Amino acid sequence: MFFRMEVKMYKGASHKIWSILMVSPFVVFFLLFWALPLGLGVWISLHNWNVSSGNLGFVSLENYKSILTPGTLYYDLFMKGLKNTLYFVVISVPPLVLISLGLALVIDNLPKRFKPIYRTIFFISYSISVTAVSAIFLWLFNGNGGYFNNVLESIGIIREPINWLGEQPYAWLTILITTVWWTIGFNMMLFINALDEVDVALYEAADLDGAGAFSKFISVTWPQIRNVAFFIIIMTVIASFNLYGQTKLITGGGPEQSTNSLIMNIQTSVFGMNQLGIGSAMAIIMGLIMMVIIVFQYWLSYRNKE
Amino acid sequence: MKFTKFLALVVSVFLLLAGCSNGSSSGPEKTEDGKIKISFINGFTGGDGAYMKKITKAFNASQDKYVVTELQEKDHYTKFKSGNYDLVVIHGNNLETYKQDGLIQDIGPVIEKAGIKESDFHQAGLDIAKLEGGMYAVPLDIHPLTMFYNKDLIAEAPKTYEDLKSLNTKLQAQSEDLYALGVPSSGLVEFYMLMIAAQNGVDLKDGEKLNFAQDKYADALMQFHDMVWEDKVSPPKLGLDGEFQTFMKEAKEGKAYQTAVALTGPWFYGAAKEKYADKLGVAPIPQIGSELASYGNAHTIALSAKVEDEKVKEGIAEYLKFMFTPENLINWADGGQAPVHLATLEKIEAEQEKYQIAYQNSKQFENYVSPPQVYQFGEQIRYMNETVFSKLVTTENFTKKDLMKELEKATKLAEQVAATAPKK
Repeated sequence: MFFRMEVKMYKGASHKIWSILMVSPFVVFFLLFWALPLGLGVWISLHNWNVSSGNLGFVSLENYKSILTPGTLYYDLFMKGLKNTLYFVVISVPPLVLISLGLALVIDNLPKRFKPIYRTIFFISYSISVTAVSAIFLWLFNGNGGYFNNVLESIGIIREPINWLGEQPYAWLTILITTVWWTIGFNMMLFINALDEVDVALYEAADLDGAGAFSKFISVTWPQIRNVAFFIIIMTVIASFNLYGQTKLITGGGPEQSTNSLIMNIQTSVFGMNQLGIGSAMAIIMGLIMMVIIVFQYWLSYRNKE
Repeated sequence: MKFTKFLALVVSVFLLLAGCSNGSSSGPEKTEDGKIKISFINGFTGGDGAYMKKITKAFNASQDKYVVTELQEKDHYTKFKSGNYDLVVIHGNNLETYKQDGLIQDIGPVIEKAGIKESDFHQAGLDIAKLEGGMYAVPLDIHPLTMFYNKDLIAEAPKTYEDLKSLNTKLQAQSEDLYALGVPSSGLVEFYMLMIAAQNGVDLKDGEKLNFAQDKYADALMQFHDMVWEDKVSPPKLGLDGEFQTFMKEAKEGKAYQTAVALTGPWFYGAAKEKYADKLGVAPIPQIGSELASYGNAHTIALSAKVEDEKVKEGIAEYLKFMFTPENLINWADGGQAPVHLATLEKIEAEQEKYQIAYQNSKQFENYVSPPQVYQFGEQIRYMNETVFSKLVTTENFTKKDLMKELEKATKLAEQVAATAPKK
């Protein structure tokens, strides 16, 4: 009876209008800034669309075919960018997750009055723009008289200066160090929040059972923060896929195009070669690849949970 | 029913947003006081930007009929393609692309209205601005590869490659960290590659594409490899802008190299002058190849294809007439650029100490070789810029055979880029 009355009460016309009004800002912005650009991107990817001359006609899946046919200009551009980006994802995700977890654990075990200080210190680099970060690391890693080379030479680790930005694997190492320094604070904050949520009573029980620090981490901390860690891994994979600023500003894609990321190559297709249709198709394929990787991660995490 | 309401709401919002945008109206855009607006976009975001603004400001102050709104943007090409601008600064090597894409129009009738004649410009500038079918821009300046030298290390500017070698021997005797010059692996390498082509009489243009796979060109390019690894006139493995960075360094025993000479862009003049003051020498580049030739890019002012209104064209003519007078264009030389306007060049020559860099660079106009006019020049040469030159100067055992393989690949890529040109 009570349920029926409730339904009747909220079934009036005013309720419907209010519902529509309340949900409409989200719907409008969702359509304008997500669904519409995505739909437009897919639509453009099916056309021969030149930035200068405009839409030159429907070409069906021809753009996708050009990108996926070996020997073509766009195949080289896409595959080189994809290979470089995947390489960066593989080398960057583990340190970005593990170091941030390590820092979070260190801060979690600090006396309460020091926690905000160190949290701020480690997080502050995240607030700096990529342009400023790149300028700093360009100076630090300069091959001719740069800071790192001078330090390493002074303490006798190297005899000849290292060409950090012009040779591999040093160029990737430079990009990796820069990225870790720049973005580590964000993941660390998420881990700190997750660690704060762990019930203290569980640690006390583990202490009574005589568990050591490592056992406590494996048996108490990790199961409690696992979901957050999984979220962080997914976010880090997405962020690493979107590599752009650091390679654009520090190595300029070099040496020999080995740090040209997929986003940089999509930009080249669109703004360099004027091929908006090809660039959109590349972006769509990139999105699909990211989706496959994330679904695989979900599946892996779900299977482990089971 | 619900869906219809949602749809109505979304359509209303779109209509509202559409209503906020500018509607098109007939006739030229005017200011509140009735002056016709002319929009001018360029990429002068460096030190020279203020000098172009000075010219525009002076024009606006002198006018009661027109007003020029100048926009200086780092990525001005993208803005121009997607926006609505009347005048645009285009680099010499991009002019053919913009013409073929139908983004610019023949500016001949406008400059005729302005009373500007082709004979007002140096031939080097005309070679850039005149394309098949007409004059597609007004040539503003040429910024060639420039030589800076440190007067503390070298009394007189080297004129040949032999001079550079003997300078290097002398400097190496002083310190192992002192070299004649630096060869970078990235940055200004396009200038280096086109300069060596010009100095060896190699024409890279082959129909609509750039053909790098020429035996003569491979020989010419190998000289850069030899400069680093055989003659050792440059320190090895210099990175981005290495030619200038090394020139600005202080030699430190085993820790930093220093060079006496930099073959670099004139835009570094301000920084070099600040460091070396009177000890900075500026001169035309030496002859490294088999003949003397200079290469560099250029700024030109082009007219958007969208400009149809005769009144706007008259305003543009007035602006160009104002700009291309020695007393106004000299500001551009003051900003470190070398104008190709002959009357302005005379003024520069008369005050060569004051306009040091402009004067020295203008001396290179006589043997200047302009960029090959092909569609998407920058994309056609991208692989050479980003991969080939770097391999050439950083790999000690790089042979001519290795280079030829790379040049063939670069040519193949250039051909594919050329094929993307709009059908004529």
